Amino acid sequence: MLRAYVWLYVGVLFGPLFLIVLFSFHSSPAQIFPMEGLSLIWYRKFFENEVLVQSLKHSLTVAVCCTIITTIIGSMAALALARLQGWVKDAFGYITFAPIALPGLFIGVSLLTLFAQLGISRSLVTVTIAHVLVALPFFIESCRSRLEYFDLSLEEAARDLGATAWDSFRLVTLPIISPTLIGAAILVFAISFDEVIVTIFTSGAETTLPIAVWSMMRQAMTPAINAASVLALSCVALLIGAFGLLNWQQRRWKLARRKAVNGGASA
Amino acid sequence: MAGSLSPRERTGLLLAAPAVVFMLCFFIVPSLLLLVYSFYRSKAFVPIPDFVLDNYARALTSAGFWLVMWLSVKIGLITAVLSVATSFPVAWYIVYRTRSNTLLYLILASWITSYLVRIYAWRMILGSNGFVNTTLKQLGLITQPLEFILYNPVAVIIALVHIYLPLTLLMLLSALRDVKPDYLDAARDLGAGPVTTLLKVTLPMIYRGLVGSFMFTTVLAASDYVAPQVLGGTSSMTVGLLISNQFRQTGNWPFGAAMAFISFLIFVEIYLIFVLLLRLAGLAPHRRYH
Repeated sequence: MLRAYVWLYVGVLFGPLFLIVLFSFHSSPAQIFPMEGLSLIWYRKFFENEVLVQSLKHSLTVAVCCTIITTIIGSMAALALARLQGWVKDAFGYITFAPIALPGLFIGVSLLTLFAQLGISRSLVTVTIAHVLVALPFFIESCRSRLEYFDLSLEEAARDLGATAWDSFRLVTLPIISPTLIGAAILVFAISFDEVIVTIFTSGAETTLPIAVWSMMRQAMTPAINAASVLALSCVALLIGAFGLLNWQQRRWKLARRKAVNGGASA
Repeated sequence: MAGSLSPRERTGLLLAAPAVVFMLCFFIVPSLLLLVYSFYRSKAFVPIPDFVLDNYARALTSAGFWLVMWLSVKIGLITAVLSVATSFPVAWYIVYRTRSNTLLYLILASWITSYLVRIYAWRMILGSNGFVNTTLKQLGLITQPLEFILYNPVAVIIALVHIYLPLTLLMLLSALRDVKPDYLDAARDLGAGPVTTLLKVTLPMIYRGLVGSFMFTTVLAASDYVAPQVLGGTSSMTVGLLISNQFRQTGNWPFGAAMAFISFLIFVEIYLIFVLLLRLAGLAPHRRYH
């Protein structure tokens, strides 16, 4: 009973997305059943549309830059959480979490005001700054539980054995935390790639894919929007899939090695 | 002060510095700047530095603003109630009934990939040539498309629930994970039925997560301005749309800033009322259980 309800819930979550994907392959612009036939015409329309292709490139650029910046600042912040104590830690936790608790609209208009006040013209740079602001709290949150309880004595043991600070980080800390960091980085990429609410206020002439789709949506319903959505979805899905595969491969490799070591010991 | 820090904490502060500087420059300063702007005057769409309360007065004395605010709060609360109520059993299932993380990853993936796509999908489903209307027509139940199912607050709520379900679920999930099955077993051994266990053990223990997910969904849904614009039609002016229009079309930024802070205060008030109601219902613990 509960099981059926859970699958209904998942079905409702994914049903509309499934319809979007399905009708992006429809040969006619009508988005209703019965379908007339399959074709890739809407994907061709997408790639013939200069604005959409450009915006896809912009989105990829922004998402990559945002992921790199957020991962650097965010990893440092997460490592800081493992070291700070007391009210300093609490204050730091609040300040890095606060943007999540505010609506994107608020963040968007305050950044717009800041950029206007400073005379900074809106571009992909301002969009990237906005995306880092939106994504950073999520990055830190998703690392927090793992890193807050990170055993610092492991690093200290490495230092006692003569490793430099950098070496103990590179050889001890990083291998332990890297799966968490990679997972969080993928989350950041996805957030940036999908961001609309803050981007509307911070983008200038160069738009990202969701913004281009948004202005198309306000004009007419065309399955080219479906195709654009499917392309955006598959970019992120590919990334998540790659991460899953990597994780699985790594676990298998570790298990195999553990078996080999145990086998050798018992023989 | 700095002398009393251990080397470990000093490294911590160094590592925290970039994030703090970033948040200061692009979160705290802009928020304060927006507050300053809310006291500016606006003349011919240009904000003029000043210290006047006109913007606040104009919003607070306008019946239109309160109507829009009321509708937004209603949309937010209904979205939150529906999201929390429908997600709770799923969170329960994931925490206590299944070991696999596949379901969790599926839901997480659906959350971060498709904000705009979902809104578009609902327009496709509810539109006059959409699935609902064509299906009804094919069944012979209607001859003319039902126009009232799109471009109204109900369509907006449907889309918002759909958008924020995964977020609500994830927050409920992290709260429920703290309630170890042992507690539930203990309650059952002491003779509590499922309903008593839920009311006396589970709900008080996940109180913070429950309030958190409810308030998050309320605030995000009430301030959303994309869904009302695409799905709401003229009958669904929300406060988010009102504010965003001030910053994009009409161009009275100080007025928009004032309305942003008023709605912020109203959200805080809703939070306080909600906590008070839970206290009165005896679902809010006065101490932490874990």
